[in-house]
Amino acid sequence: MRPPAESEYFRLSIPSQTRYLNLVTGLAKRAAALAGMDDATAAKVSIAVDEAVTNVIIHAYHGEPTHQVDLELRFLPGALEIRIWNTGDGLRDDDVVLPDPREYVKHPRKGGLGLLLMSRFMDEIHFLEADGRSECRMTKKVV
Amino acid sequence: MTDLSIQVRDAEGVAVVRPEGFINAHTVRQFEGALEALVQAGRYTILLDCQALNYISSAGLGAIMGLIETVRDHQGDILLCSLQDNVHTIFDTLGFTQLYRVFGSEAEALRAIGGQV
Repeated sequence: MRPPAESEYFRLSIPSQTRYLNLVTGLAKRAAALAGMDDATAAKVSIAVDEAVTNVIIHAYHGEPTHQVDLELRFLPGALEIRIWNTGDGLRDDDVVLPDPREYVKHPRKGGLGLLLMSRFMDEIHFLEADGRSECRMTKKVV
Repeated sequence: MTDLSIQVRDAEGVAVVRPEGFINAHTVRQFEGALEALVQAGRYTILLDCQALNYISSAGLGAIMGLIETVRDHQGDILLCSLQDNVHTIFDTLGFTQLYRVFGSEAEALRAIGGQV
């Protein structure tokens, strides 16, 4: 199958509701496969997208179901770039403190693992602010 | 398709929980509720049979984490078996395979904990 040409992309916008998570992660997984990733890598991309969109719904929008979450999946040369925007309480790179998995093992507790999974499963993650929106930008290389 | 269905049964005194589908922020309350019901009923040794679990996000991991101390305080445990590759990767990536005992099959898990329940 011919991989998508450079910088082709598609966008979608979903209501800020967790019932749409599976739809979005399924799409991300298929896009990763289309970019040339194997099943295991595509599954990692899909989990990272699940975590990123969940963060927006739960933390940026505080579970309010009437907002929109905007996504763009862009096929770059040798990589898939995923951007997720919200207009709620966004994160910036400086705000992100990744938990130490060794501490979790010693002192089990709930919460904080989503960002860790995203950082482990993607090659790059950045949290930005532009034009009044917060953006989570993630990149996965096609190996 | 149902997002998540959960079967619970008894096997040699162990509560075997078999989630089918996926566990994420949308389905986690259902999963958490099933585990909490067992703990409230005094079932502190729980085997999660993950054969039909397609994926689990951090929300689901948090649900397990939230109960691990309670069950261990009562001389029980939460064990895992039959993990699909991508689910195993998630647990392993976070170091959880050090925190939970993971078995290849239900039979193997029951043999290993036989006599401890």
